[in-house]
Amino acid sequence: MRWLAVTALALSLFAQTASAQTFRFTAIPDEDQSRLVERFQKVADYLERKLEVDVEYVPVKSYSAAVSAFRNDQVQLAWFGGLSGVQARRLVLGSQALAQGVEDAAFHSYFIAHQSTGLESAERLPKAIEGLSFTFGAKTSTSGRLMPEHFLQERFGKSPQELFSRVGFSGDHSRTIALVEAGTYDIGAVNFSVWNAAVEDGRVDTDKVQVIWKSPAYTDYQWTIRGDADERFGDGFTVKVRQALLDMHNPELLASFPRSGFIPADNDDYAPIETVAESLGLLR
Amino acid sequence: MPRAEAISAAPGGLRGDSPGLRLARRSLTLIAACVVLLPLADMAVITRDPWSELGRMLSGMAWPHWWSLPSPIGAIALTVAVALWGTLLGILLGFPLALVFSRSRLVRAGCAFVRAIHELFWALLFLQVFGLTAVTALAALAIPYAGIFAKVYAEILEQTPPAPRDALPPGVGRVSRFVYAELPLVWERLAAYTRYRFECAMRASVLLGFVGLPTLGFHLESAFREGRYHEAGALLWLFYLLIASLGVWGHRRLLPLLVVGSAFLLGPWPRIDGDLLWRFVSRDLWPAPLREGDWAGLLAWLGEIPELLPAIGNTLLLGLMGTVGALLVALALWPLASRHFGNRATRLGGRGLLIALRSTPELMLAFIFLLLLGPSMLPAWLALALHNGALIAFLAARHADALQPGMPGLNASGRYAYELLPRIYPGLLALLFYRAEVIIRETAILGMLGIATLGFHIDSSFAYLMFDQAFFLLLVTAALNLGVDALSRRFRPRDVVLDDPCSR
Repeated sequence: MRWLAVTALALSLFAQTASAQTFRFTAIPDEDQSRLVERFQKVADYLERKLEVDVEYVPVKSYSAAVSAFRNDQVQLAWFGGLSGVQARRLVLGSQALAQGVEDAAFHSYFIAHQSTGLESAERLPKAIEGLSFTFGAKTSTSGRLMPEHFLQERFGKSPQELFSRVGFSGDHSRTIALVEAGTYDIGAVNFSVWNAAVEDGRVDTDKVQVIWKSPAYTDYQWTIRGDADERFGDGFTVKVRQALLDMHNPELLASFPRSGFIPADNDDYAPIETVAESLGLLR
Repeated sequence: MPRAEAISAAPGGLRGDSPGLRLARRSLTLIAACVVLLPLADMAVITRDPWSELGRMLSGMAWPHWWSLPSPIGAIALTVAVALWGTLLGILLGFPLALVFSRSRLVRAGCAFVRAIHELFWALLFLQVFGLTAVTALAALAIPYAGIFAKVYAEILEQTPPAPRDALPPGVGRVSRFVYAELPLVWERLAAYTRYRFECAMRASVLLGFVGLPTLGFHLESAFREGRYHEAGALLWLFYLLIASLGVWGHRRLLPLLVVGSAFLLGPWPRIDGDLLWRFVSRDLWPAPLREGDWAGLLAWLGEIPELLPAIGNTLLLGLMGTVGALLVALALWPLASRHFGNRATRLGGRGLLIALRSTPELMLAFIFLLLLGPSMLPAWLALALHNGALIAFLAARHADALQPGMPGLNASGRYAYELLPRIYPGLLALLFYRAEVIIRETAILGMLGIATLGFHIDSSFAYLMFDQAFFLLLVTAALNLGVDALSRRFRPRDVVLDDPCSR
């Protein structure tokens, strides 16, 4: 009898480890992410309830680390930027964009300038920015690098290196703001939602740095899932994940992104990003 | 030009063939080369409002918020675990190589090659296949360290006193001879060097956090990047304390316990995807036209590589400037930590300053100077010079402390100029030439400042997932490092016996 109980227990333990396949996700580190693990843990708890599998959040340090984690199957779902999402979907065949933020359908970059440049907010990018110093964000950021470079090219027909006296890559949006506020660089390109959040929190001195130009709209961030998710987690899992994301209405959870909600998206929404990246030589 | 000619061409006071004059000529040539090339470097100072940001940083260092650290214990433990196991694996790989080092050209070349690539770049490479796991971290440390251990261990073994070996009766086996008559004589020095390398591994382990492995550096970089300076300050102090107390917690008797205990912290081990690994090694690293044997296409591929010559130029220039800067910093700072100068309080302060300068990652030093001086080559130069200068100064002070001043009644400047400096200078210069290779490697990680060194382009290629380009640039970097290493070997003071292996 005891024998049987032990066997049953062992079997049930084994069964549990076999089925307890953990679903992991990550998010690109694009702004102030203090208490990031804590905040995304809540998102993980939410997904765990909705999807009925163990869900874990994996923190990463850089855009390329997020892509590499996705490629290596260390995460099956990721909150990518426009360009990093395209990179990831090219590397993992069958993966698809599931949902984007409400704001991502019409996303913008802001060009910000130090007050000493005397530049004012304008409809068109002013000619006066030529010869000043300029900083992008991360090298593969869509709103901090790709689209700003595209719009500069469109307006001036020159590469940033020809246009500006110095071109830097600050690494992320928060740092771009800090560097332009300190006057280290005259101008910087940032994600508009990061800028707005920083201004709201009083983390930036708007006497020293202000927005001089708002870019036209483009498509940005999205949730992307690996193509083999259904195979691993059961039929219809991908659909379930998408629904769980679309049903996320709790403001506390949405603040991690920060978005007001999620709407459906698919791979084709990002074709324009792909074209721009190819033309700038960031993709091939 | 031939040496005799160089001597006769030297200005009056420097003519002659004494060892001292040779050293003086070499140092001055190095400095002159730097001064001549300086106009090529972008050295503009652009300062506007750095003070509010710097003030926040300073207050963060002065009032660290210990309580706001999420979980430093885990990060510290992992930092130690990675450093310890990375070093250990390095020894396991490197020691056997050291035994055949002098006999095999192939081993020597292989070791030089793996040494020539910075730990961070190894990490970026392994990250692609092993992801953010301990395998990536350990491989990134163990592989270059194996090359370093092989070389230094071989040099130490070479200097084994021959007398005990010669006294053995004929017919004693090779292994017995090694274990009984050679190893005990050099054991102390092998251990001392290994200990020093472990401190380097601690720094490298922190640095690996910058690419995403959850060591102390991960939290440090996040806090610093996001302007949470009180937290960054706490982490930085923690790291200084960890390095300063290395002798206590890294004691010989505690090591076995640490090694076994830390092994449990390294998991979870990744499931290695054979297909992915094979695809990476056989395809991703090589240019597509090369794989297809399309030579015209290969030329086009080469054309897409971002300007290679300016990048090499920038790398070499920054390397030269960093080397000369480190020399000047070391000359100025070593007395601060030496027993021959000052009192107990100034020495404590001086030693603290040197530990802080050599333990603070260059990337952070560079960012502080970037705020202060604006974007140019200047912040990178200062960061390299201070970090490496402090490291050399520390070793020079230790060297000086072993000397007994013989001239009584000299004041401090007299002791510095006439007694101690002449005796430690050959060692110091030899050290600097060794360090030049390291400095070249380190210029690579300052791409953040927008200075287009080779490292800047390597980082970009990894970000754009163009691994073939990244790999090619890594090969170029390695070749450059080998060249610089050969050059510095040619010019470093040869007659100096570097009795302190930790100088390397």
